[in-house]
Amino acid sequence: MESLAEILISAGLVIGGIFGLVGSFGLIKLRDPMSRLHAPTKATTLGVGGTLIASMIHAPLFEGHLSFHELLITLFLFLTAPVTAFFIAKVHLHRNERPETLPTPGEDRLWATHDADRDGNRD
Amino acid sequence: MAGIGAQGLDSGKNILTHMGKFRIERTGGIPLSLFLIVALPFLGSVLPALLIRAGRNSAYLSTAAVTLLALVGLLLNAPAVMRGETVTARLDWLPGLGLNANFFLDGLGLLFAGLILGIGLLIIIYARFYLSREDPMGQFYSYLLLFQGAMVGIVLSDNVLLLLIFWELTSLSSFLLIGYWRHLPEGRQGARMALAVTGAGGLAMIAGMLLLGHVAGSYDLTAILDQREAIQASPLYLPALVLILLGCFTKSAQFPFHFWLPHAMAAPTPVSAYLHSATMVKAGLFLMARMWPVLSGTEAWFYLVGTTGLLTMLIGAVIALFKDDLKALLAFSTVSHLGLITMLLGFGTKAAAIGAVFHIINHATFKAALFMTAGIVDHAAHTRDIKRLGGLRKLMPTTFTLATVAALSMAGIPPLNGFLSKEMMLEEAAHTVWADYGWLVPTLATLAALFSAAYSFRYVAHVFLGPVRDDYPTEPHDPGAGMWMPPALLTLLVVLIGLFPMAMASTLVETAAGAVTGGQVQQVHLKLWHGMTPALVMSIIAIAGGVVLLGAHGWLDRVWNAMPRPEAKEIFDALVGAATRASRAVTDTLHDGSMTRYGAILLAFVLALTGYAWFSGTLAAPTRRTMEIAIIPLLGWIGVILATALVVIFHRNRLVTLVLIGVVGLVVSLAFTYLSAPDLALTQISVEVVTVVLMLLALNFLPRETPLESSPMRRMRDAALSIAAGLGVGGLIYALMVRDFAFPTISDYHLANSYSGGGGTNVVNVILVDFRGYDTFGEITVLGIAAIVIFAVTRAVLNSPVRAYLLNRKPSEPQSGDAHPMIMVVATRMMMPVALMVATYIFLRGHNLPGGGFIAGLIAAIALVMQYMASGFSWAAERLRFPYSALIGSGVLVAAATGIGSWLAGKPFLTSAFGYFHFPPLEKFELATAMLFDLGVFLAVVGAVLLALESLARFAWRPGIASEFPMDINPAREVEETTAEEAR
Repeated sequence: MESLAEILISAGLVIGGIFGLVGSFGLIKLRDPMSRLHAPTKATTLGVGGTLIASMIHAPLFEGHLSFHELLITLFLFLTAPVTAFFIAKVHLHRNERPETLPTPGEDRLWATHDADRDGNRD
Repeated sequence: MAGIGAQGLDSGKNILTHMGKFRIERTGGIPLSLFLIVALPFLGSVLPALLIRAGRNSAYLSTAAVTLLALVGLLLNAPAVMRGETVTARLDWLPGLGLNANFFLDGLGLLFAGLILGIGLLIIIYARFYLSREDPMGQFYSYLLLFQGAMVGIVLSDNVLLLLIFWELTSLSSFLLIGYWRHLPEGRQGARMALAVTGAGGLAMIAGMLLLGHVAGSYDLTAILDQREAIQASPLYLPALVLILLGCFTKSAQFPFHFWLPHAMAAPTPVSAYLHSATMVKAGLFLMARMWPVLSGTEAWFYLVGTTGLLTMLIGAVIALFKDDLKALLAFSTVSHLGLITMLLGFGTKAAAIGAVFHIINHATFKAALFMTAGIVDHAAHTRDIKRLGGLRKLMPTTFTLATVAALSMAGIPPLNGFLSKEMMLEEAAHTVWADYGWLVPTLATLAALFSAAYSFRYVAHVFLGPVRDDYPTEPHDPGAGMWMPPALLTLLVVLIGLFPMAMASTLVETAAGAVTGGQVQQVHLKLWHGMTPALVMSIIAIAGGVVLLGAHGWLDRVWNAMPRPEAKEIFDALVGAATRASRAVTDTLHDGSMTRYGAILLAFVLALTGYAWFSGTLAAPTRRTMEIAIIPLLGWIGVILATALVVIFHRNRLVTLVLIGVVGLVVSLAFTYLSAPDLALTQISVEVVTVVLMLLALNFLPRETPLESSPMRRMRDAALSIAAGLGVGGLIYALMVRDFAFPTISDYHLANSYSGGGGTNVVNVILVDFRGYDTFGEITVLGIAAIVIFAVTRAVLNSPVRAYLLNRKPSEPQSGDAHPMIMVVATRMMMPVALMVATYIFLRGHNLPGGGFIAGLIAAIALVMQYMASGFSWAAERLRFPYSALIGSGVLVAAATGIGSWLAGKPFLTSAFGYFHFPPLEKFELATAMLFDLGVFLAVVGAVLLALESLARFAWRPGIASEFPMDINPAREVEETTAEEAR
């Protein structure tokens, strides 16, 4: 039982470590900002997630108490990571792309971030 | 170094603890405590300022009532003083510094306090009818009461340090009074001159008093007064004497510092009457009289004080004769009479001291009356120029009578009170020998008396006598009773004291003179007729000569005006101008608005200082070994070094710099966590977040790049300085860390007493709210003030032409059409309750576990800042229900109230109490008053952060920037709009 737990914990840590490394490597390796945005998502989801699962298994089996901090950390990550990614993508669209270089935005006239005059007023 | 610091903390703590232990003693079965008599005017000064809203009469009556109450309180103490007792009230305030709030009332104090409060009451009545409708009367009475309180404080203080505080307060409050008509340039200049001269004298006096206290070994006046021999034998006697006299002479307008007094006449007449007859200028005389037992009797005293007095008396009298402005005439006559009293005190004999005390009473009565009549003339005729007046006898009979009686008393005509004391002065002068010249003092004194008689006669003759003219600016007439009653009362005193001196004044003069000369009560004989004495002869010469001079005035005036005279104001202005230019030259060089220059000066100075310390001191051998370098700290270290180096390289790009600084902050908070300082880590992280947000906001208004402004040489210099300073600080810290402290630190005390004394296991928090709660209280106050200053500065900027620039500012880059995206809005709304709950949690557990009011405040502030970021400042501000300044204020008040609460339990300020409670179904938990204090910290922090943010954000406001909706794009809204359209 104990060795099984140890294997699980180790697996979690290794998965976490690998995806952390992959995410960081991708950040350097990938050239285009939009593709590069993919890399850290691996680190924040699988990377941190693996570590947290390892920690949650470790607490009741080896420290003798239940631990829910990890769930909170997950919750906060789930809340903040998308917002961060969203803003990075948005800034990229706003500063580096022009309406012509983007795919058509469907039923709208323009992508929202370009849909304003210089003062920021939408029509 | 830390050891010394710890000791410093300890002694600071001692002072604070001692502050709490007030020892109050009183003697003499007091009907109204001296504390109250001194405090009443100060407390009462709030009343007129508030009650002026209810009308001028309310302000006036409240002021009069306060003064009357203090006067009655004083008079209730009078019988005891008259019996020869000394009434005291003692309060140990800061015994460690020798500063005690001790008051005592003896004959001299009674005399002066009686004059201050009595004449003050009359002035208050007079001012009610003197001031016009446009004058802010509430302000006037507030200033007057402040001044009155300061004066009463001076004359009742039994501690020289306390006396000095009141002394400076009179300078400040008289500045407000003299400059009361702030629309008049003469008023402002006169006030500034009075403040500069008397303030500078006050500084000299502080030095003198400290020397005196040092010699006597105590700052208590009664203790100093007992040590005449020791003080006069000390080598410090002469410097102390000169410094103290500088203070007295400037305050009492003695030559050559007399020039400020006539310029202070730009004040409203009630102020002149009060300041220059009974109070302010008499403070110097009071102090000389008070110090008479210890300082007088030496040659230095005689020649310094006696000569100055004699010269002042003569010069003042001569100038007064040639002044055409009624108040200027009275001002110089005041200078002259102050000289007279100073001279008498300078003679150093007991008889002269009695004369001085008696003349103080007489001068106060007739001079206050004269000032008030001058004010009446000014009020009625709309001019104070003697050359334009004359013949008012028929038009203003009441005023004429009062002015004549008072002026004749000033001239020294029997049987008025001025005659009595002038006679005593001449008597003393007649047998005073000045450096072997027996004739000098009597001759000059007679000459001064002669001029004094002449200008007094002129005041009557040229204003009231003569033919009625037809070219007055208005129709002069007698004023209402409110204005002539106060001078009438004083004039009545002038006559009564003159006729029945023994009945009216002898006891008061006796006790006061007894206090001046050192306790022995003497038999004072005040009478009109002494027989044909030399003094009477001198008096007759003076009066006869005065009449002759008045007759020859027209001719003398032309000669006087043709003569070149030094103009004191020009000399003063030149001196002040030179001093201003010199200090401006220094400050403009050092303080030219360039931050790099300030930094360079500071660093160079510190480097020179530490260089000196390094080369002159010795360094003990290291006592600690350095630890092994572990991998994780090494990584952190590399991170910080890298980020810092990058800041240096990229510092011209402000956004990148901010990001890099954020990195440094994060690594530092990681270091705190690693080193088991979770409190610091939490604080560091939340401070970091708030700072970055505020800095981003500020960067919005600044250029992206810092332009290259300094020359290569300048940059080389700055680099050299910073490298030297950085290496120095690093070296210093390294040297500290490889050695044990030379003294035991205070940390052990805190660790040992945190739980037993403060009821908390989180030592950091217990230090903040308990051990050093007073510091924290000061800090949150400062934090609040800083935020309010930011608010005030932004307000001031927005009221300046910059506002137009900000409003018309075009964004430098295209703005986003989706500035407030839905994902951010929804996330922050969801986070808000969570974050507030976290703040509450951190707050509640703060006393025992990492957390506390400061961190909780930052977290709550961040929760609110997120709302501003998500939906825009204007949108969020519209939904704000309370001002942040109120949050700061309530925080400071809650903290203060918690501190004061411990007084109710008889403990010193901010003693915390705690207990453990058990309310089922909750678990047992602890409640501490420190938690309430922490609540104050919490509120102040939230308020300060958000007020700063709000103030900066105001710059960004432009018309139409406010969004109508919380998020720019909301599909739900579009659906609603379409359905609404379809329904139509």
